[in-house]
Amino acid sequence: MINKYLALMVSAVAIFATSANAGHHGHKSAVVPTITQEAVLTGLENPWDVAFLNDGTMFFTEKCKGFSVRMPNGDVHALYGMKDSSGYADMGSDLHCSNQAGMLGLAVDPDFANNHRIYVASASTKYHGNGCKTNFERCDGNIVMRFEVSKDMKSVSGRTDIVQDIQFKPFESNHPFGGNGAHNGNRPTFGPDGALWITTGDRHRGVCPQSPTLICGKVLRIDTDGNAHPGNNPPKGYDKRIYTYGHRNVQGIAFRADGEVFTAEHGPWHNDELTMLSNGKNGGWDPQQNVGGRGDCPDEYCGYMPNQKKGVIPAVRAAYMPMSDTRFPDLMKPAWQNNGYSQGTSSIAFLEGSQWGMYEGRAVVGIMGIAFGGTPAGMRLDVYDIAQNGESIRSVIHLPVETKRYRGVTMGPDGALYANTDEGEIYKITAK
Amino acid sequence: MKSLVFGFLSIFITVYASSATSGDIAAGETRYGVNCFICHGQAGKGMASYPKLAGKEVAYLIDKLETYRAGTRIGPNSDLMIMNAEPLSDEEIANLAAYLSSL
Repeated sequence: MINKYLALMVSAVAIFATSANAGHHGHKSAVVPTITQEAVLTGLENPWDVAFLNDGTMFFTEKCKGFSVRMPNGDVHALYGMKDSSGYADMGSDLHCSNQAGMLGLAVDPDFANNHRIYVASASTKYHGNGCKTNFERCDGNIVMRFEVSKDMKSVSGRTDIVQDIQFKPFESNHPFGGNGAHNGNRPTFGPDGALWITTGDRHRGVCPQSPTLICGKVLRIDTDGNAHPGNNPPKGYDKRIYTYGHRNVQGIAFRADGEVFTAEHGPWHNDELTMLSNGKNGGWDPQQNVGGRGDCPDEYCGYMPNQKKGVIPAVRAAYMPMSDTRFPDLMKPAWQNNGYSQGTSSIAFLEGSQWGMYEGRAVVGIMGIAFGGTPAGMRLDVYDIAQNGESIRSVIHLPVETKRYRGVTMGPDGALYANTDEGEIYKITAK
Repeated sequence: MKSLVFGFLSIFITVYASSATSGDIAAGETRYGVNCFICHGQAGKGMASYPKLAGKEVAYLIDKLETYRAGTRIGPNSDLMIMNAEPLSDEEIANLAAYLSSL
């Protein structure tokens, strides 16, 4: 009899543990979904980001052209172009592209039905002022713009530059991938809190990520007028718009179903990272020279050192120039790091809906990877099962999709995943 | 007799020079597919900050690849290209140039 009760109790505990696990991690199924992939748009020029309305209307950027909208019936309206672009309803002559920089991310206002607002990040010359004369000074060259889309969805108006001082790299430097316009971040998205979150990059300037005042190497949380979120908790003396600091080049940001926010951060030669953010904390990237045991570095940026133009054992490079430096007491521990490789993490999204089977609730990340110096190629989408506490992963698998350079991943309102590629396509990836 | 020798010599030089620079398009496509496409895109269309190569002149492509192979920096992504060009043979460079130029 006692054994029978014991068995029942064990069963009950097991069922409770299983259901608790499912609730926490979104693993509602053990079914491996069947994945299909179809092109929605092709022939684009470096589509960088997409954002949806609930009816399937899709806004998208092209890095050196501008942003457009694809209507549910397939019609495409070119809305706002950049310098030297044509065919757009309107354009901004201050918007430009160069190397990694250009018109990058965009986000749709959660209250779009009422205010018709969208938000777009781009490189701009409008706020250079007296800066930008060298790589070693302030250069307000990346901005976030707010627009109102017309009722017929064929034009935009009311451009308001709500962030004017995201830093930009004006000139080439003595580094690998050292062209101007490097490391911009610039992926805006809305959180479940209704705030606008914006990622930025270190723009190859050593002092940027740990600077209290320069908006580079940061994740910002602001309202739709550009004001700091009142709940932000950066260290004393830091710009109040800062949610986290100490980042390298955050190209991906997404919210898990429980509200936790994660970034995908493109690393230097020896790492990439996925990190669960914590308000006011430090990502641990500090490429300044003459700190952390380092000496002088080329153009005052140690990000690729030591011996930046030749192969070095990844562990040696990681010890010299860690992506998450443990000397910072407020360091956020990454959920995943790329085991000595940098394969170019781009964007991140969480797979939502039971159609994703065992992948429901997991993070999907674009791995762009160009394969050099002994590093395997990327050109894929990976799916990560991230631990509830955000400090590790349980597994990672390759999603069975075409070999492409996936720049962006976004969940659509139809439950499909949309992935835009540097080759010029936007794909719909469906699970059944 | 002199003019006959000169004529043969001219033909030989022309043929030799031609064979030295005209690569094998199919072999070039195969080599391009090993890793070049990862940055420069399928069919050399270019993407991100990596330039379009399709349709460029053979002489231009050979010059650039030989310059990178020699370790000379000629742009912001030179370190990457030097690393990738260093192992290329003359024949592989000719083949790559022939393929990309044909697109």
